[in-house]
Amino acid sequence: MTQTRVITVTSGKGGVGKTTTTANLGVALGKLGYRVVVIDTDIGLRNLDVLMGLQNRIIYDMVDLVEGRCRLQQALIRDRHIEELYLLPAAQSRDKSAVSPADMVRICDQLQGDCDFVLIDSPAGIELGFRNAIAAAQEFILVATPDPSSVQDVDRVLGILESQGRSQYSLIINRVRPDLVRRKLMASPAQMLDTLAIPLLGIVPEAEDVIISNGKGIPVAHDEHSLIGRAFSNTAQRLLGESVPFIPLLHGRKSLWSRLDPRRFLRSN
Amino acid sequence: MDGAISIKGTREGLTITLGGGDTQKLYEDLSRHLKLQGAFFRGGVVALDVGKRSLDAQRLCSFRDLLAQHTMTLRTVVTADPTTLNVADEMGLRAIGAEVLDEPEPQPQPPAPAKPKPVAPPPLAPSPSMSRVESIARDDSRGLIVKRRVRAGQIVRHPGSVVVIGDVNVGAEIIAGGDVIVWGRLRGTVHAGYPDDSCAMVCALDLAPLQLRLGKHIARPEEAASERGTIYPEVGRVRDGAIIVERWSGIHWGN
Repeated sequence: MTQTRVITVTSGKGGVGKTTTTANLGVALGKLGYRVVVIDTDIGLRNLDVLMGLQNRIIYDMVDLVEGRCRLQQALIRDRHIEELYLLPAAQSRDKSAVSPADMVRICDQLQGDCDFVLIDSPAGIELGFRNAIAAAQEFILVATPDPSSVQDVDRVLGILESQGRSQYSLIINRVRPDLVRRKLMASPAQMLDTLAIPLLGIVPEAEDVIISNGKGIPVAHDEHSLIGRAFSNTAQRLLGESVPFIPLLHGRKSLWSRLDPRRFLRSN
Repeated sequence: MDGAISIKGTREGLTITLGGGDTQKLYEDLSRHLKLQGAFFRGGVVALDVGKRSLDAQRLCSFRDLLAQHTMTLRTVVTADPTTLNVADEMGLRAIGAEVLDEPEPQPQPPAPAKPKPVAPPPLAPSPSMSRVESIARDDSRGLIVKRRVRAGQIVRHPGSVVVIGDVNVGAEIIAGGDVIVWGRLRGTVHAGYPDDSCAMVCALDLAPLQLRLGKHIARPEEAASERGTIYPEVGRVRDGAIIVERWSGIHWGN
């Protein structure tokens, strides 16, 4: 029986890319052959199913499970492309109070041993939905954009996690614009780490690929040739404890990022 | 009653002090005690002094709920444990640190009446209408050392002086009756000499708070040393009725 790692993806602020990160990390880990369950805890505003292109396969959701209308195996939806990737969808009706932190612990206990990773997508905020999302996790991935309000919100979430004695966390810096960072119009990853003082798990540049793939319902991590796909697969490998160098985006004049199509750059390697 | 728990009436309400020993046992003792004598304390506002023990949210909630069963309100938690301080703060309780500094610095003010523990809850915001303010008169016999980064949303309140070993991030707040010393970067909001002691000062290795309050004075520092390129320690004090921030010059290195 494997030890299942239960990891919550959270940020405080909304719109920074929690759901995109969860979906892509799920895909990246799935592609590496790990058994992964992703859980959407945003009851009432479910999104993870849309990003994964699974919304038309939902029969039962988390509220059905919690209220005993189905078994866990019935609520889990298998991904269209990856054999061992499953989604436990949130309910679209109802609200956060339909699920309690104890319910989350129960669900994750049931999954313990049956998969390698449980990735929990947290709703924005620090209210009940957030408390549900963190209840069962031992590890936390904080997602921040270089926006000061996003950094401050992650700082706030870290304070809450620390006060509960939870200390296993790392940071994904999302939607970085290297051109703006170079012109000092956007906080650099180094500046963000200076404030937050937690381990860095990944840096994901802003790119159209994400918007396009989210629209299609096929997470960008499927495309290993894309820069973003590689950023997510590197992040997944760091999550596995491997030491993967960060893609050089910020090497001053030598950076190819601003001049060349990143795809061409990567293929030429 | 059991020696490990003491319940004292004060001007502000009740102070329940948990002595040494197992927390669960103390909880049960308190529960038993309140069952017998609870009617006596009905409707009371409680400050719970937990000493050095570390309590998680669940445990602290259990005490709050136990008191609530006897129509008592847990309002303040006095603790020497930084984690418990945070937990209490997160629960919306007034959290008072009770760590003792080895060497209290001498101050020109007459010493406040000696109290074993600061039990009076400091009000959340400076408000002249609050008469309770006097009851947390500056007490320099006790300092609080916070050995961690203070993050956004975290508030450190203490009737004496506060020393932070670590950064104070944007969105964090330090409210001290005495001085505030930050061995790190000060980015949040700081109020030294709360509520009205203008003799208090704030020093930091990199002094760039969002807002600097000294007694009744408020300033918004425009520029951090780190933004000027060189970082050096600074001190904020009230001079001639205004807050002045200067480079720390207690020691001269010859420039």
